[in-house]
Amino acid sequence: MESITILFVLLGLMFILLGSGVWIGLALMAVGGFAIEFFAGRPAGDAIATTIWSSSSSWMLTALPMFIWMGDILLCSKLSEDLFRGLAPMMGRIPGGLLHTNVMGCTIFGSVSGSSAATLSTVAKMTVPELKKRNYPEPLIIGSLAGPATLGLMIPPSIIMVVYGVMTNESIAAINVAGVIPGLVLALLFSGYIVFKTKTMKGYAPTAEPRSTLVEKLWASRRLIPVFVLLFLVIGSMFAGYATATESAAVGVAGSFFLAWMQGTLNWKSFSESLMSATMASAMIALILAAASGLSLAMGFLGLPEALAAWVGSLNLSAFWLIMCLMVMYIVLGCFLDGISCVALTIAIIEPMVRQAGIDMIWFGIFVVLVVEMAQITPPVGFNLFVLQQMTGHDMFKIARWSFPQFIIMIGMVFVLIAFPALATWLPEQMVPVRV
Amino acid sequence: MAFATLEQSAGTMKRGSMLGGLRRTLDALYRWSGYLAAASMVAILVITMVQIATRYSAINVRGLSDYAGYFMAASAFLAFPLALNRGAHVRIELVLGIIGRFRYAGELVAFAASTLVAAWFAFYSCKMVYVSWQYGDLSTGLDATPLWIPQCAMAFGAVLFAVAILDQFLQLIFSGSHSIVQSNGIE
Repeated sequence: MESITILFVLLGLMFILLGSGVWIGLALMAVGGFAIEFFAGRPAGDAIATTIWSSSSSWMLTALPMFIWMGDILLCSKLSEDLFRGLAPMMGRIPGGLLHTNVMGCTIFGSVSGSSAATLSTVAKMTVPELKKRNYPEPLIIGSLAGPATLGLMIPPSIIMVVYGVMTNESIAAINVAGVIPGLVLALLFSGYIVFKTKTMKGYAPTAEPRSTLVEKLWASRRLIPVFVLLFLVIGSMFAGYATATESAAVGVAGSFFLAWMQGTLNWKSFSESLMSATMASAMIALILAAASGLSLAMGFLGLPEALAAWVGSLNLSAFWLIMCLMVMYIVLGCFLDGISCVALTIAIIEPMVRQAGIDMIWFGIFVVLVVEMAQITPPVGFNLFVLQQMTGHDMFKIARWSFPQFIIMIGMVFVLIAFPALATWLPEQMVPVRV
Repeated sequence: MAFATLEQSAGTMKRGSMLGGLRRTLDALYRWSGYLAAASMVAILVITMVQIATRYSAINVRGLSDYAGYFMAASAFLAFPLALNRGAHVRIELVLGIIGRFRYAGELVAFAASTLVAAWFAFYSCKMVYVSWQYGDLSTGLDATPLWIPQCAMAFGAVLFAVAILDQFLQLIFSGSHSIVQSNGIE
C-alpha cells in the first residue's frame, strides 16, 4: 500500500482511539501495534514489548523523575509565600506594578518546577487574592498568569525538554541550557506588554504600593536567595560539564530537601507526599513515552517518516515555511492534546523531515517547547485554562480571551527565534562536555 | 431489565465477603505496587548520588547507570495502576463531554478498548520475561545482569495495570461509574 494511504489509516485510527477517550499512552501503543502487525507484516507484540523495555529502562530517562521530584519538594515548602513577599516590594513602583510579580513569580517557579500547571497553581494561589485586593483589573491578572506560567516548560530544568531529548537522542543538558535565554526574553516580552497595556488602559487605578528603600527591598527578598543558589547549582553544573542532566537533577533533589529542612517544612508527611506525587507524574509521562517508543518503532518499520521527509523535500519548501506549517500543526494539535503527548506523537514522524531541512535540533526543541507553551492556553483543551477555571470560577473561554494577548506574544516569539536563532543555540555551544 | 438485575447482583455481591475481600486485596496491591515504585525513585536518587561520588573519587562501581535504568522502569511500571486510579494518566474527554446522554456508552467503549490494549501489552511483557529467562539474556552493559530480573517489574506492573483498568471497567458496568479521581493534568 502506498505510504500516504497507510499514514491516513493510522492517523484515522489514532483520532478515533484518542477521541473516544482511550488513555493517550494506550492509544499510541495500539496504533503502533496495529501498524507493525498489519502494515509491516511482522508480529507486533514481542517487538513492542522489547522496545518499550529498552526505552523505559534507559538511564537517560532517569532525569525525568528527578526533575519532577525536585519541583514537588519545593512546591511543598513555603517558597511561594516567600516569593510574593520578596518580589512585591521590588515590582511595586514600576508601571504595571504587582502584575509583574506574576511574570517574575512564574519565571522563578517555572524554573523550579519544570511544569506549567504546577507553576500556575502555586503562583496564582499566592498572587490572585493579593492583586484583587489592590484592585488590579481581573483580565490582566488572569492574562499575566496564564501566559507566563507556561515559562515552566521553557526555563530549565524542564520536564518536556527531557522528553524531547530522550525522543530525539539529543543532549538533555544542552536543550535545557538552550531554554535559558529564550525563556528570559519571553518573560521580558510578557512584562513589556504589561507596561504597555497598563500605560494605555483607561480606568486603571490599582492601590499603589508603599514606597520602600533599596535596603528594604533587598531585605524583603532575602528568602529567595537559597532558591536562586539551588537553581544556579543545578543549571550551572549542567552547563559547566560537572554533571549530566540526571546528576544535576539528583543534586537538585538533595538541595531541595536541604532548603525544606532549613525552612522547617521537611517532615515525613511532606517527604512522602512529594515522593508519591512525583512518582505518579513521572509514571504518567513514562506511559506516554513508552507508547511513543513503540510508535516510533512502527514508523521505522514502515519508513513513513522518511517517505514524508522525501515528500516534503520534493516540495522545495524553505525551512521558514516548513516551520510555519509545523507551527500551525502544533497549534491545532495543542488545542486537543497536552504538550507531552503532542511531542511524543509528532517527533517520531517529523524528526527526519526537520533534520533534512537542515534545522538545528536544539533550536527545533526550543521551537517545539514554545509552540507547546501556546497549547497550554488554547481552548478547549489547555491545562492552564483548566487550572485557572478551577481557581477563579471564570468560564474557560473567557480566560482564554483574557490570555489571548499572551498567545500573540508567544507567536511573536517564534518569529524572534527565527530571526535570531542564536538566542537558542549560542548558550549550549558554550557548554563544557561532561567528563565521564 | 437484564441490566437492573446485574446492578442488583453487583450490589449484593459488594456486601458479600468474597468480593469485599477481592476489593481489599486489589486495592492493597495497587497501593503497595505504588509504594514499590516510590521506593524505586529513591533508589534512582541514591544510585545517582553514588555515581557523582564515584566520578570524583578513585572508586569505580560497575554498571551503576544500568541499575538506575532498571529502577527507572520499575518506578514507572509499578506506579501505573495507582496512577490510573488517581487520575494521573491523561486521556481526552472532550468528545465524551459533548455527547451528553451517550456518555455512558462512550465510556464503555473507551474502557473496553483500553482494557484490550493493556491486556495485550501485559501478555507480551510477560512473554518477554519468559524468553529472557529461557535464553538467559544478559544485559549488554557493564553490569551483566540477567535481564529477566529487572524485566519482572515491568511485567508485574503491566499485568496489574491491565487488571486495574479491567477493575474500573467492571465497576463502570456494574455500578454505573468508575472510581477514577478527576484531575486536571500534572504537566
